Amino acid sequence: MDQLIEQIVTGLSIGSILLLVALGLSIIYGSMGIINLAHGEFVMLGAYAAWVFHTYLGLGLLASLVPIFLVVAAFGWVIERYVLSLLNNRPLDTILATWGVGIMLQQAVRLMVGSELRYVQLPPALADSMDVFGIPISSYRVFLFVVSIALFGATWLLMNRTTVGMKLRAIIQDRSVAASFGINAKRVYALTFAYGAGLAGLAGALVSPLKSVSPDMGTGYVVDAFMVVVLGGVQSLAGTVASAFILGELSGGIAFLQNDTVAKTIVLLAIVVLIRFRPEGLFTARVRA
Amino acid sequence: MPSNISNSSGLQRLIAQLAPLLIVSALVFALPVLLNNDFLLNKVARYLVLGILTISLGLSWGFGGILNLGQAMSFGLGSYAMAMALKLKTVPVHTGASGLPDFMVWNNVQHLPWFWEPFRSLSFAIAAGLLVPALVAAGLGWFMFRGRVTGVYVSIITLATMVVINLVIIDQQSYTGGFNGITDLAQLELFGVAFDAYGRATYYLVAGCVLLSLLIAFAFTKSRAGLIVQAIRDHESRVRYFGYDVALYQIFVFALSAAIAGLAGMLYTVVMEFASPTFLGVQLSLSVVVWCAVGGRQSLVGAFLGAVLVAGMQGALSESAAFLETWTLVMGALFVLVVLFLPKGLAGLAQATCRWVAQRRQAASGAVGRGVSQTEGST
Repeated sequence: MDQLIEQIVTGLSIGSILLLVALGLSIIYGSMGIINLAHGEFVMLGAYAAWVFHTYLGLGLLASLVPIFLVVAAFGWVIERYVLSLLNNRPLDTILATWGVGIMLQQAVRLMVGSELRYVQLPPALADSMDVFGIPISSYRVFLFVVSIALFGATWLLMNRTTVGMKLRAIIQDRSVAASFGINAKRVYALTFAYGAGLAGLAGALVSPLKSVSPDMGTGYVVDAFMVVVLGGVQSLAGTVASAFILGELSGGIAFLQNDTVAKTIVLLAIVVLIRFRPEGLFTARVRA
Repeated sequence: MPSNISNSSGLQRLIAQLAPLLIVSALVFALPVLLNNDFLLNKVARYLVLGILTISLGLSWGFGGILNLGQAMSFGLGSYAMAMALKLKTVPVHTGASGLPDFMVWNNVQHLPWFWEPFRSLSFAIAAGLLVPALVAAGLGWFMFRGRVTGVYVSIITLATMVVINLVIIDQQSYTGGFNGITDLAQLELFGVAFDAYGRATYYLVAGCVLLSLLIAFAFTKSRAGLIVQAIRDHESRVRYFGYDVALYQIFVFALSAAIAGLAGMLYTVVMEFASPTFLGVQLSLSVVVWCAVGGRQSLVGAFLGAVLVAGMQGALSESAAFLETWTLVMGALFVLVVLFLPKGLAGLAQATCRWVAQRRQAASGAVGRGVSQTEGST
């Protein structure tokens, strides 16, 4: 029984990290149709930013979250403005362009700070562990779970209860009609991409105490996060949450029963089958076009 | 089959389209005369093989509109087929029962597994190196295209499938050599000729395969099926409404492309003298996409040259780590610029330049109002 609860908690922890990383990707893909292969590199930039703030400015992780969000969002804005906005009607080419951008970011970091592993300290206040259902679990993992849910809530509010969100939803439905009502689509897209990038940066900063920081750390994340988005369904934020935790529990569970390779293989095959038979994702109801 | 030799101007056009292909092949064949260095020739042979791999991607991506992010899967399968046959021809260093490959002995495998058995025959291995990738691709293609999976989703499925096969190969160490791959291979011997990786024979074998792949791919793009495939790329549903079985043509080009990639994989094993899981890794697979895009995805010769030039430059700079790291950065930037401003790659640039020169010349000679004979398109 204890083992089962422990497994579930582990799954939730994996799921919250997946959600953190996938949220930004989901927004960018869902609203702009761009598969952002540089997303993993935004995660990596966030982790490095946490390390820089800590090592050179002496800022703790929690205090540097807001600046990290802003820094990585600024990166995202520049990339949208000067690269992606030039590729308006070529969705396949955006994969290639973002991949190239990703390589550049990775290589630039490698050249500037070297490729050795870096470590970020846990915030002292969250370094101990606490009991959840009688199972001791690190406070930081609980904190990550809460933050990931909070960020999801904030994003949902942003999309559904603010003017920018409304404009974005209008553009998704029909870009030219939205434009004729005076909505500046270019600006909204740039902001959306910047927001998604900022979220990725936050994700990177938040996971940096758990994993070591290296220039190629993002590659693994982008694949996993992409699977979350595909499973959850494009344009469905709630679907992203559900699928993040489903995938978290699944890979935690299978890895416990079998091993990591089998877990990865099964998840990938499941995704392949899903795309073939339900490309719109598990959690999107068909709405009128 | 050339479908447009209806008159002499059609023939002329065909020759004009074949010219770059033949010139490049001639240069490839002539290189050993200029380059009297077996080590360098081996390196060049390696880039040529990667060129063949890139031609195969150009066929499915540039002409079929199918962006296969798992092209290295076919390449790796071909490479392993060849490596398995050559492994069984070596005298094992740590001899086990009945000449078991050394890594199997280390992993306590007692008997040669059944799927290794047929690889005692080299002809079987060569057939497998072509057919296994083609059949796997046909199966995958059937699975995707019958379900009308398109665009980005094709890329995800191909990428995921390749990662799965890669994971399985690394995991099944006792049958595949795992992370280390299959090393210590015998030399390939065909028709009494031994193909030493550093010998002339191997170089000419590779060069011959370059020419062969270019010709097969070219013939396909000019064939009826090839034209329909290009029509599907440009407007899938219109072709479907004409009554063509769209999926069938897509499956065919997908499988043909995989077979050529399998050929490249087999050659790679001969040139490199080993097979490794990195041959079907994400890194290589994405690099092929870059080479193809830089060279020109809608030009077979362009794709080939893109691979040879970019991979060659990378190889030349890899002597120094700092150089290589800077180069990767420059490469990323170059790639982004090509995607943004040269969607047809260097080949597109070359064609545009030729056209511009031709127009200038015509304008200069005062021939106004007549159509410029264009040799654009797909060589």
